[in-house]
Amino acid sequence: MHIPDGILPAQVCVAGYAVTGLATWYSLGRINRRPDPSADIPKASLLTAAFFVASSIYIPLPPASVHLTLNGLLGVVLGYFAFPAIVIGLFFQALVLGHGGLTSLGVNAAMMGLPALLAYHLFQARNSLGRPLGEPARTGLFAFLGGALGVGLAVLIFLSLIVFNIPAEVEAKAERAALLALSLSHLPLIGVEGLFTALLVLFLRRVKPELLEG
Amino acid sequence: MTTLSVDSYVPGRSLLHRWDPRLKLISLLALMFAFATVQHLTLVPAIAALSLGLYVAARLPLGLWRQRLSYPGLLILGLVLVLPFSLGPTVIWQWGGVALRQEGLAATALIAGRFLSILTLGLILLATTPFLSLLQAMRSLGLPAILTDMTLLTYRYLYEIADTLATMQRAMQLRGFGQGPHAWLRLNRQALEQRALLAGNLLIRSYEQSERVYRAMRLRGHGQGHPERGTGGGKMQTWAPHWGLTAALLGAALGLIMAEVALHHGYNGIGL
Repeated sequence: MHIPDGILPAQVCVAGYAVTGLATWYSLGRINRRPDPSADIPKASLLTAAFFVASSIYIPLPPASVHLTLNGLLGVVLGYFAFPAIVIGLFFQALVLGHGGLTSLGVNAAMMGLPALLAYHLFQARNSLGRPLGEPARTGLFAFLGGALGVGLAVLIFLSLIVFNIPAEVEAKAERAALLALSLSHLPLIGVEGLFTALLVLFLRRVKPELLEG
Repeated sequence: MTTLSVDSYVPGRSLLHRWDPRLKLISLLALMFAFATVQHLTLVPAIAALSLGLYVAARLPLGLWRQRLSYPGLLILGLVLVLPFSLGPTVIWQWGGVALRQEGLAATALIAGRFLSILTLGLILLATTPFLSLLQAMRSLGLPAILTDMTLLTYRYLYEIADTLATMQRAMQLRGFGQGPHAWLRLNRQALEQRALLAGNLLIRSYEQSERVYRAMRLRGHGQGHPERGTGGGKMQTWAPHWGLTAALLGAALGLIMAEVALHHGYNGIGL
């Protein structure tokens, strides 16, 4: 789910870089408020590499198999490091695999990174919003929501950008219908990503809970 | 993962190889964005010729270009298959219910031309600049130190972690995971859980390794000196051809944007 170079108009690419610049600046500002920001850099970097590698794991989704985006999970585990991690991950994907591109890097980073930050805040809200639920149901439910929200929002942004920016002569009604149909076709993927995130977070909660401190 | 490489650098002696990475980054990115502004088919031959000329000047192999085209070509292929048959009222060829439309063909040519030209410029940038020089150029142009450090550490451990995953997957297969006909197409809770545990174990191993890496970095003085020092780009080379090439490409970028604006206001041609 990457937008390649040459698909979007330059204005959208520039706007994507502006949003990514702002979000990176905000994330780095929050990271620098920590007592020792440099202490978290190796952890965030190796986890970025691990997420990059883990996204190559195939998940069966009959009649095909898919790769997960893991941006919601990145938000849940890395917190404010998630946005820089996504920028770096997408930069490597453009370099290694030719996924995405250099002019569309800003748009792709905003598309994946902003939902990741939202997923982080949603997961952090589990202790307030999810108070009536006991553990581990609370952690599992909010991890599911974080994972599903991460990919769901990214899919919606991706499809909106594609549908509203390519065929300018297609009617608005047809565009809306295409957007709805394409979004609905991604529902199984959103469910699988949410479930995968919940299973993984529950495993981390049992084995390495400090990884979920954000 | 093991067959892939972050560094697409192809050694060479061309002017583009020797070009200062900072000037190269600025010039080629400006030209890529100028290409992205093109909305009129009239300008597509010009951007294609410009990117082809630069590729030839960089003396890069054609195989590299074909290899780079494989994945992003899928979305483009989808558009090429859909747009000519669905966009616009002017039918130029019809067979049964299938009609080839002029506006759709024009839109496809514009998107494909823009995509291939920008892809070529991106490849020239990556193939004529070693990855670490590119990163150093970005740092000296203002990329925050945290991002540079994270990129370097991710680059350093990427293939090690990919090898760890490959070893873990091989161990799972040896114990019977994924065996049987169409096993890769069966989705149930157990299959999903096993993959989640695989990814979770990879995260835990990476996290534990990061603690060792951090302790080793501290022992070598990381975080105790001046983090800005030593990460700059050094003194800018002032070799005249570097500036000449930079001026030529920035001029071409500006010219393209002006031509696009002029076409937009004065010519009612085929555009998206």
